[in-house]
Formats: sequence, structure tokens, C-alpha cells
Amino acid sequence: MTLSRRNVLAGASALAASTALPMAARANDPLGVGFVLIGPVGDFGWSTMHDVGRRRMEEVLGDAVTTTQVEAVAPPDFDRVVTTLARAGTRLIFTTSFSYFQPTLRMAEQFPDVMFENATGTATRDNLAIYNARFYEGRYIQGVIAALKSQTKQIGYVAAFPVPEVIHAINTVMRGAWSVDPEMRIRVVWANAWFNPGVEADAARALIDQGCDVLCQHTDSPAPLQLAEERGIHGFGQASDMTRFAPNAHLTSSINNWGDYYAARAQAMIDGTWAPADTWGGLDSGMFQLAPFTNLDPEQASHAERVVAGLRDGSIDPFAGPIVNQAGEEVIAEGESLDDDAIRSMNYFYQGIDVSMPG
Amino acid sequence: MTLAEAIFLTVITASTPLLLAAIGELVVERSGVLNLGVEGMMIMGAASGVAVAIVTGSSVLGVVAAIGAGMAMAALFALLTLGLATNQVAAGLSLTIFGLGLSGVVGAPFVGMQRAGIAKIEVPFLSELPLIGPILFRQDPFVYGSVALVAGVAWFLWRTKAGLVLRACGENPVSAHALGYPVLRIRFAAVLFGGACAGLAGAYLSLVLTPFWTAGMTAGRGWIALAIVVFASWLPWRAMLGAYLFGGLIILQLHAQTAGVRVPSQLLAALPYLLTIVALTVIMALRRGGGQVAPQALGRPFVPDR
Repeated sequence: MTLSRRNVLAGASALAASTALPMAARANDPLGVGFVLIGPVGDFGWSTMHDVGRRRMEEVLGDAVTTTQVEAVAPPDFDRVVTTLARAGTRLIFTTSFSYFQPTLRMAEQFPDVMFENATGTATRDNLAIYNARFYEGRYIQGVIAALKSQTKQIGYVAAFPVPEVIHAINTVMRGAWSVDPEMRIRVVWANAWFNPGVEADAARALIDQGCDVLCQHTDSPAPLQLAEERGIHGFGQASDMTRFAPNAHLTSSINNWGDYYAARAQAMIDGTWAPADTWGGLDSGMFQLAPFTNLDPEQASHAERVVAGLRDGSIDPFAGPIVNQAGEEVIAEGESLDDDAIRSMNYFYQGIDVSMPG
Repeated sequence: MTLAEAIFLTVITASTPLLLAAIGELVVERSGVLNLGVEGMMIMGAASGVAVAIVTGSSVLGVVAAIGAGMAMAALFALLTLGLATNQVAAGLSLTIFGLGLSGVVGAPFVGMQRAGIAKIEVPFLSELPLIGPILFRQDPFVYGSVALVAGVAWFLWRTKAGLVLRACGENPVSAHALGYPVLRIRFAAVLFGGACAGLAGAYLSLVLTPFWTAGMTAGRGWIALAIVVFASWLPWRAMLGAYLFGGLIILQLHAQTAGVRVPSQLLAALPYLLTIVALTVIMALRRGGGQVAPQALGRPFVPDR
């Protein structure tokens, strides 16, 4: 057959007709949703709860979605994993760590037709939304409870990395503790990992050996809480209800609840109404809940419940002024409060917190 | 308990899995085989140990299963490197990657389950002595076992004919073969022993240190064990010293942080690794004029001419 304009057009028409049907069918195909997790699904904390959220989304949306999850993705592997997901037809990708925020910005630019959502990120783009829960409300309550329980007036904190989320959590724990007892002090160990049970256990041992009798953690395994149980002190769970790991030591946990958010965002994609949003839900949003208070006497539990109510109705503001940093500089005056951007970018400890900023 | 006692106890806890894995690898390398799959064998031990302990309700069976899993992984490595004379470095790296993946599959049904850790052995009266009591007489069986293992390996390598033959296989397998010794069988036994020790180290992680299963819980300890063997110049007692030094540095940097030492935590965390590099450099510099430090046939496949 000779190559003529007519033959080319006829061939093109045939090709268009042959691809039209699959394209139409593709519109009714399930929405491909990807999840990139910083830790293993079995970390019992952060990544576990993202997996629980993913399964909840599948439960709500049924056959309308199909999910692909890649766990324990180190930041250097992130681009490769996301590229694979995007090329496989995944149209909505949740990247579940602050460690992924910068790489997600880069990937969002590279794949403009894919919608991205980053947990704990700080900026949106046309195809990038950010979401988080106001975990600091839970941290404030932990500080209050720690001060009520502590005999040594020392809180131990197993921290992951010196990122704003961890820094403002440490500040908020102490604000809560000081609301009960201004003499409370905190010791911090930086594990330099979100999840490393061995290091977390060793860090907890070091804190207990130094006299801390209540442990907080910003790492994901139950190891610090188990150490608290073993050594007869108290502690708080991280991200999921960790009562079963330390029935005598556990005081409460902040439970991350991502499922309804994931379902709503995937539904928005299906409906064609997805838009880049900045979602930061507090206790009243249901994005996180508190595990039942355990190992508290009725008076302590009642005090904690009053604080929860105050956080819900806004009468307690963990970031109300005056706030003075370690250098003695007033960050915000009395009668004012830090806005969300200031909280998100916090890179200083409050005066009275004798912890040096690593690096 | 004083702070000093507490720190010593924590150092012992942190060092024991390193020592168990290192002493096994030391024997393997003394036989002339380089097995970089310690991490993979270790994590399979951790997964199998906790799985069997949960299913049977017996920590002893869990430990046995961990040893068995480590040996099974080692046997696979031996099949490749001794049976098929494949590259030992490539096979060892593959074993680690394979172990990390397979352990995730084995451990998956047991995620979220936990059991009580293995109890410490308390020697009556002696455990009450100040300072040395808790350190020497109130430890878990793995700690005592690791010290006994070091003593046993040192005695075997330097005080028995079998140990001499094993070392000969690592130094000059051709000569050992010419004298009628079954080099491959000896190396196979050494590799299995190394696997057993790595599996035991894994069991310590999942049954004592943090008594639950989670993927990747070895967190690079297998690689540290490999470094300790080199640091120790392939000598058992020095391996023990190296393991405790390394474990001590890991724990002391955490205590330095809690005490508010104004040094970046990242630098403190890197300190054990930096000091290992310094120590290795010093050892190699001191030994440069005095002959070979490592077994001369280390990492070289041996194919006997039949």
C-alpha cells in the first residue's frame, strides 16, 4: 500500500476508533491509589496506622479503588518508587512522611497528571495537597499527665529527628507539664530514626537510668513503652493504642485515624472534585483520638479529661503567648498566639527546656 | 541501682548480639570464607525465633528455631560458595537481601504479637553485691552463653588440632588439602557454625532485647559484627573487647545526650563508627610491616583438584 494522505488519515481514524473503547473503559476503571510508607507496616505506630487508614478507605470505597502500598521506603529510594507507581497508572499517591516532603514537591512537578498528598508537609502545589493532625494537642495532654504521675519531676523523650513536628511536640509536652508543675524538666535522646526498636530501647534505658520516670516518644515502635513496663515506670504510646504492650505502664496514646480522610480524598478524585488542600485536623476532627486513660487515679483522669475538653473548645491554647525561646527572646507576646505557619516552622525550644538542638 | 551499674548493664545488653554474631563470623573467616550475609542470617533468626516461640509458647524452642534458621541460611550460602564456587562477596550480599525479604514474609503473621522476654538468671546472694552483683550475676542466659562461646572458640582455635586444621584451611587450603584434610567439609562446618551464631544473635533481638517481631529489626547489627571481626584481627578475645567497646560507645552516646552534652547528636551517634574506622586504620598501620593480618585465603574459592 502506497503511503498517501488518505491512507494515513484512514489509518489514524482506525487507530482512534480502536483506542476509544479502552479509553472509555479506563474512565470507569478503579482509581489507582498509591501509599509510600516511611516504616514497615509492622512498626505498631505511624506506618501501621497509615496501613489501617488505607484498609479503611478500601472498605468504604470498595471496588471503586485499587491500592498499591510500598513500605519502609528510605528517602533515597523515594523517586524510584514514586516513578514506578506513576508509570503504572496510579493517579493519587499519599507520601506519608515529612522526610518525603521535598522529594514529593519534585515528583509533583515531574508528574503533573498525578495528584500527591504529603503527610506533615508545609506547602501545597496544583497537584499536591498536605494533611496532618494536630498531634500537639495530644502532646499537651501527655505533658499534663506526665506531671501528675512523675515523682522525679523528669520526663524522658525519645525523639526521632530535629524537625519542626518533633520540636513543637517537645515544647508542647513541657507546656502541658508546666501547667501542672513549673518545676518539671525534660531529657531528650535523638534516635536519628523514625523506627529502630533496638535504638529506641537503648534510648529509653538511658533516659530511665538518668532518672526519668515518665517516657514520651516520637518514634514508632513500642520498645520504649515495653522498657517502661519492665522498669516499673510510665509512658505513652505513639500513633496507635499501645496498651497491650505495657498494661501497667501505659497512660494513653494518640491514635492516628487516617481512614476517613483517605476515603474522602479518593472519593473527590473519583468525583473530579479533588483540589489541593491544607488539612490539619485536631481532636474534634477525628483525625486523631486518645486511647482510654489507663493507670491514672480518678482525680488524675478527671484532670486530664478537663484538659481534653479545654483543647476541644479552644479555652486551652498550647501556643498562646507569651512564648520565650532558649535565647531569652520573646517569640510571641501575651494575648497573641502562634499561627499555623509559625508552629509548622518551629526551630527553637522554649526557655526552661535544657535541650540542645542537634546539628 | 547506681547510674554506673545501670550503664554497665545496658552496655552488656547492647553488646551481646554483636558479640554472638561476630564470634560466629570470626570462625567462618578463620576457615577462609567471607560471609557478608550475617545480617540476613541474623534477621531470619529473629523472625523464626519469635514465630516459633509464639506458636509453641516455648522460648527454648524459639531459640532452637532461630539457630536452625541461621544454619539453613548459612547452608544455602555454603551450597553456592563451596559447592558451586561462586563469588563469596556477591553470595553474601544476596543472602542479606534474601534474608531481609524472607524474614518479612515469615514474620508477617506475627506482627503485633508479643510474649514475655527471657528472664534473667539471678545467682542468690552474689547478685546482691554492689556494682559487680548485677553486672556479673544477674544476666540473661545469652550473656553468659556469649562469654562461654568466646572462651570455647578461643580454646578450639588455639588449643586443639581441629582448630589448627581449620586455621590452616583459611591460610593455605591447598596445603591442607594436600595433607588429606577435607577443606570444603571443614569450611562447610565453619559456615554452619557462623549461621548458628548469627541466628542466636537474632533470637536475642526478638526474644530478649525487644520481645516482638518487626521487619528490619536487626537494623544493621550484622554489618557491625563484620566490622568487629576485622577490628579484632580475627582473635576471639579481642572480638569480645570490640563488641563491648562498640556497644559501650552506642550506649554512652545516648547517655551523653540525656546529660545534655552540647555536641550534635548526629556526631555522637556516628562516634562508634568513626572510632571503628580509626581503630582499623591504626591496626593495619601497625601490622603493615609484620605480615598478613587476615587469613591469607579469605574470600578465595577453593576447588580441590580431584
